[in-house]
Amino acid sequence: MTVSLESRSAAARPTNPTPPTGTTVEAVAVLTGWGHGIRALPADAARAAAGRAVIPLLRPVLEGERFRRATRECLLGVAAVDALLRESNIGRDTIRGSATALIYVTGAAYGASNQAFVVAESLRQTRTEGGLSEKRPGSVVAESMRQASSEGGLTEKRAGSVVAESTRQASSEGGLTEKRAGSVASSGTLHFPYTAPSAMAGEVAIEFGLTGPYGILIGGAAATIDALWQATRLLAGGRCERALVLAVETFEECAALYARGRWLVRRPLVEAAACALLVPGALRARYDAPRAPSMLETLARVRAGETLACAPLIALALARDGGTAGSVSVTGEWRGRRAGLHWQ
Amino acid sequence: MTPLGADLDAFWSGLVTGSDGISMIERFPVDDLRVGRGGEIKKLRPLPHTRHTGCRATQLLLAAAQDLLARAVISAVPERVAVVLGTALGGVEQLERALARGGRPRHAAGALYDSPAHALAHRLGARGPVLTVGTACAAGATALGIGADLLRADAADVVIAGGYDGLCRFVMRGFDALRSLTRERVRPFDRRRSGLLLGEAAALVLMTRDDGKGGPKLGRLLGHASASDGSHIAAPDPNGRGLEFAVRAALDEAAVTPADVDFVSAHGTGTPLNDRIEAEVLRRTLGRRASAIPVNSIKGALGHSMGAAAALEAIMCLLASREGVVPHTLGLEEPDPACDLDHVVGFPRATRPRVSLSTSLGFGGCNAALVLEGAET
Repeated sequence: MTVSLESRSAAARPTNPTPPTGTTVEAVAVLTGWGHGIRALPADAARAAAGRAVIPLLRPVLEGERFRRATRECLLGVAAVDALLRESNIGRDTIRGSATALIYVTGAAYGASNQAFVVAESLRQTRTEGGLSEKRPGSVVAESMRQASSEGGLTEKRAGSVVAESTRQASSEGGLTEKRAGSVASSGTLHFPYTAPSAMAGEVAIEFGLTGPYGILIGGAAATIDALWQATRLLAGGRCERALVLAVETFEECAALYARGRWLVRRPLVEAAACALLVPGALRARYDAPRAPSMLETLARVRAGETLACAPLIALALARDGGTAGSVSVTGEWRGRRAGLHWQ
Repeated sequence: MTPLGADLDAFWSGLVTGSDGISMIERFPVDDLRVGRGGEIKKLRPLPHTRHTGCRATQLLLAAAQDLLARAVISAVPERVAVVLGTALGGVEQLERALARGGRPRHAAGALYDSPAHALAHRLGARGPVLTVGTACAAGATALGIGADLLRADAADVVIAGGYDGLCRFVMRGFDALRSLTRERVRPFDRRRSGLLLGEAAALVLMTRDDGKGGPKLGRLLGHASASDGSHIAAPDPNGRGLEFAVRAALDEAAVTPADVDFVSAHGTGTPLNDRIEAEVLRRTLGRRASAIPVNSIKGALGHSMGAAAALEAIMCLLASREGVVPHTLGLEEPDPACDLDHVVGFPRATRPRVSLSTSLGFGGCNAALVLEGAET
């Protein structure tokens, strides 16, 4: 079967008398495990990591009942957009409504909620199959905790995650009781809506009142290039007046899993949340598939470490920090595919 | 690949004959769940080279690709072939396995959301852009839209686009806990509707620019748009703001008016809230024409196949144009006055829609709309 794209209506499509054809990156905000902003990045992330596999980013403290169940990814996404607005003196009212597009990207979409839900589900099954005892520690909780701990992932100190919380409950008193398992299971159930990647973008849209064009791409740095390209198309087509491209990457909760992922070989994995605001401007964007990384891609990796989908946005921030106002080339690679976007 | 059959012909014939793809789930335990039924594909024979992965989602996709390649030829160099897929779950079943005691690295490899898309690209030899869209149950529509954008931007010459999701305990348990699943049959837009049932499927289309080359075309994608509700994580906006924005923007991009729309393939999950909101949005956006345009939902027959749903519905729209028949909404017997539209009830309707509108909604306030045109017959 073939679905061809039409050409008739493309020709007949109403055109703006002065269509905006270019774009400009108006602002970029970056939060990483190294701290707030580009200035917090070390000169050499690998050396600064001193052998640590994951550099965690603390859970932001956001007020409001709505954030009580939200995962760290959600909170980080909200915090990144908030940082962008504050640092650029842009009011929330400016981006509220349907004139702002939101495109969210992540490669490590499995965060606290997914693992918490899987863990709780496993406990529930174990309970259903005949109760829990100290002699039956074969739960996913115990196993995942053991794996994570042995690989330097989770510690008691980083108890902000649901996984750590449920794990501590499971192990601190030498085994699970049915009552305890039940509470863990129900808390996992509450997190089910947050297992969808769209929950992260949804929380950001709710918080900032974004009701315009919307996209979610799953992948690493190449997907962020795709997202930036989508943003330029929406702007060039007059579908929005501004576009937010947001990326969030968390690794801590699933450190053991990522340690086994064959694509995530670069270290350190640095948790990050980054956001760029694009508006109509003078620069035309060209989208391609370069073979080699741009200087900015390399620089972002050296300075920040492996931040997956956040890397191209960190690269943009580095370019702005370096005073680059003209043409900028950002590239990103994921699973053997490299994409590039070049503003000229 | 749908619960109605293993290829496009079985899908279509199942829809027009009123086949019910809902059954008791057999592939994993459901005894402890309130609802253990869904649109499960019973006869999925993994292709020889996919057995080792054990990834249901990948197996569904590759089976769908096999059917696609039996009907169309990819006539582009590998670097110009893109893959764009929508999904709500990605490889989450592999995550469960990876986290389980004794989980193996191969499970971790498949546990990322975009692993099935890369597996499909590898199978097809596609070396162009590989994108995974994560707008939940609207993802299939957005994937087709992004596929069109890639072609318009000359970033690819051929795009394999669509959506997929497999049924697994993870998602059944989640929806069961949310009390979204019905113990009765799925009844979209019926006054007795009481919830949805989940299903599994994979749906793919081959997209090219309309340059007059190649074989016969099934239809054209005229316009697409997406929008967020900014309202609630797990429920649609009570006023359908995001869906309305998406519908109006898609019609605008397609340069068509409500007077041009001949058929609406609704999201129509069968939940009380979704169907009422969707009907209101359609009445607002289509105006007086709303009562004269046939509307259906195929989720009564298949269940809600999540990331695959919108792609399946887009295909159904084009098949309706080709065959001159609009399938009826299985399970709809007593239309809800609050969902007053021209529903296709009881049996298929003989009509040949030229322009179709397909609507989709998803978790996290995702909305998408497609405007499609059937090929001239």
